[in-house]
This record gives sequence, structure tokens and C-alpha cells, in this order.
Amino acid sequence: MNSQQQPPTTASRLEPDVLERLNQDIQREIGRLQRLSNRGLWALSLFLLVCLLAWRGFPFLPPPDRVVAALGKPPSPQVISIALLIYIFSAIILSLSRMTMAMEHRSSFCHVGYLTGFFLFYHFAKALDDNYWAVIGAGITILGVESYRIWTYCNEAIAKKREDLEYIRTTGHLPPEN
Amino acid sequence: MFKTLAGRALVPVGLAVTGFVVVCCLLLYSAIRSGVNRYAVTEATNLADTILKSARYAMLKSDRETLATIIHNIGQQKGVEHVRIFNKKGVVNVSAKPDELNRQLDKRAEGCIACHSGPVPTTTLGTMEQARTFRNSSGTQVLAITAPIYNEPECFNAACHVHPASQKVLGTLDIGLAQDSLASSLAIIRTQMIIFTLMTLVLTIGGVTALLRRSVFLPMRRLREFVERLDQGKGPLPDKPPHLPLDLEKIAWSHFRLVQKLHKPEPNRTSPE
Repeated sequence: MNSQQQPPTTASRLEPDVLERLNQDIQREIGRLQRLSNRGLWALSLFLLVCLLAWRGFPFLPPPDRVVAALGKPPSPQVISIALLIYIFSAIILSLSRMTMAMEHRSSFCHVGYLTGFFLFYHFAKALDDNYWAVIGAGITILGVESYRIWTYCNEAIAKKREDLEYIRTTGHLPPEN
Repeated sequence: MFKTLAGRALVPVGLAVTGFVVVCCLLLYSAIRSGVNRYAVTEATNLADTILKSARYAMLKSDRETLATIIHNIGQQKGVEHVRIFNKKGVVNVSAKPDELNRQLDKRAEGCIACHSGPVPTTTLGTMEQARTFRNSSGTQVLAITAPIYNEPECFNAACHVHPASQKVLGTLDIGLAQDSLASSLAIIRTQMIIFTLMTLVLTIGGVTALLRRSVFLPMRRLREFVERLDQGKGPLPDKPPHLPLDLEKIAWSHFRLVQKLHKPEPNRTSPE
């Protein structure tokens, strides 16, 4: 059964210049959403770059002993691991909650920062070799879920905007919810 | 895959659960390995202390024959890869392997550098700093402990000895223990954890999939088939919608009543002719 929504009467049609401006706004919004949908992948790429640097032992940083002498003793690897576990749990719950509520939230790049922090703490505690794959696993999981959330949100929003655009082009009126 | 309801429901759950379980297992394995290694180092350090205490009297009396016999016998023990005593200059004085005797050791070598990194050598090290691991020439993974032999009042006060009281360290004991059994135990733990992780993942993902399929996807498919059958209008109208969960049943009934109304002939409508 195909039920088509009847447009309002021709008396309430929008002016051509308003329609054009509305068209451009929606096109701009679609472009913004398309750029936003790739945000997760960019964050994942940046994280993989950080992983590569961590794999090589952060060659541009001073040796851990010198940093420890300057800043003091780092937390023990066990404490860092507990913090990593709490972090991954919280991040997944937060991401799934945002997915449930269909929220637009750009949080991918801050996760790269947190994960780099974990790499650095393990590096300065001289426990990076033992925990390298755990941080990679945490990063891929969190950034994977976040990428999926942003990507699905953007795809849904783009589809909705395209429907609005089509409605405006065919009827010359604002979509019903606007 | 991502456009279907099943894909949208299962991909984030599968990704989150798989990632979390894998990270938990990696962290747990890392903690177990670290604990086992710490225990092995403590045991090896205790063994080094026991050897030093056993050989103390022979060293005090400068009885080289007894000292060499003690070290040789310890070196015969299964799992002991090497035992040797260096003097202050880094020359091997006593060893379980005769070909190592009188060999000079480089102070920059692994195991020495921990104390000899600065201009003044460190005289005390923590338990973990005394340990080093490496693969020896026969390919065995070895955990080695370097234990300092301190100058004690009995040493510098003894009539036969010439060590001044200011000399803190007289030499070092170096003992290497094979890590094969430890490595095989860790490999068993790793295999068990991989199996446990896979079983947990299969159960979790399988359980969620089964529940979603039973409670959501199958009723949705039955609703879709029912609506499609009504829309195609092939054959007589069914008596009632299929039995579905409450929310979906309301939709089915609503659509069913609408189709019934459309199929009912209107009494007031008259033919245009």
C-alpha cells in the first residue's frame, strides 16, 4: 500500500529564492554529515599511526628513565591495566547509550588521545611490551563502535535530508516536521 | 548487512562484546605472566642467596677446592644452565663450566650494565633489577640472577684476607635457570584462555543472536509476510493476523482492519451510470 502525503495548497508555496536558500542549506548539511561520517575512520587511522610509534618505542621521546627522574615514578602496570579496563567499559557503555539515543556526538579523536595516554603510561612504566596488544584491542573496539555509531547516525540523517530535499523540490513547501 | 535490522542490532553488540572480552583476556594474561615472572625471579634470587650462604664458609676460609666443588655440583642440577662467581674485576674465578674460568667479562654486557652504567658502580639492586632473561647459545630461554657478594666484617677482619673495609662488593654470583617449564606453563594458560575467550564469545554472541531472532526477527518476518499477503490481495482475506508479540500484534491488527474496510463494499455508493 503506497500512501502519499498530500502537499499543502499552492497558496502557501515558498518563494523561489527561499526555496533555493533552503536547498543550499540542506545540501550543505548533507555535505557536513558526509564529512562527519568519515570521522571515525580518520580517528582509527590516527590511532594506527600512534600504534606504529608505540611499536617502535616512541623513538622521538626521551628514555623512560629520564622522564621518570623528571616527573616521578609512574603508576604500576597493574594500576594502569585496571584504569584501562574501567576506561574501555565506560567508553563502550557511553557509545552504546549515544547510539540508543541517536545523539550526534563527535568523540572519536578524544579517544585517540586517551589511548595514547595509556601507551605513554605503559611506556614509562616499562610495561608496554606486555600490554601493547591490550591497548590496541581496546582502541580498535572503542573506535570501531564509535565509528559505527557515527556512520549509522550520519547515514540516517543524510537519508532524511535527501527525503526533505526531494519533498521541497517536488512540492515547493517545507517538509511537514519543519 | 548494515541495512537489515539483524545487522544493525548485532554488529555493535558483537563488536563491543568481542573487543571487551579480548582486552580483558589480554590484560589478565599479561597480569598472570607478570606475576609468574616475578615469582620465578624471587625464587631464583632466593636460590642465589642460598648458594652464597652455602659457599660463605669456603670463601671465608679461601678454600677454593670446596667452593669449586659446591659450584660444580649446583651446576649439575637439572634446570641450572650456568653458575659462576666473578671477582671485582669481572674475571670468572669459579664456574660449573671449566672453559669459562679466568674469562674477563665486559662491564657493558647485559647483567653488568645495571650496576656499571655510571662512573661509580651501584652496590645495591632490587630483586627485579638483579634479573635478566636471554636465550643462550644452546637456544634455551634463561632467567639469570646476578647477586653481589658483599664485604662483611668477617671478610675484611680475617687474617688471610686483604680486602679493605671500604670495598663494599667483593664479587658477584651469576646463576642462570632454564625457563622452559615456565614457558610451557604460560603456553598452556594462553591456550586455555584463548579457548575460554572463544567459548565466551560464541555463547554471548550466539545467545544474543538466538534471543533477538526468537523475540524480534522471526515475529517481524511473520508480520512482513502477513502484510505482503494482504497487500498483494491474492486469495481470500485471513480470519485474523498471526499470533505475534503484543507490539507487533497491534500493528498487524491495525493493518488488517484497514484492509478489511477497503475490501468491504460501501452501501451508499451508487453506480455512476
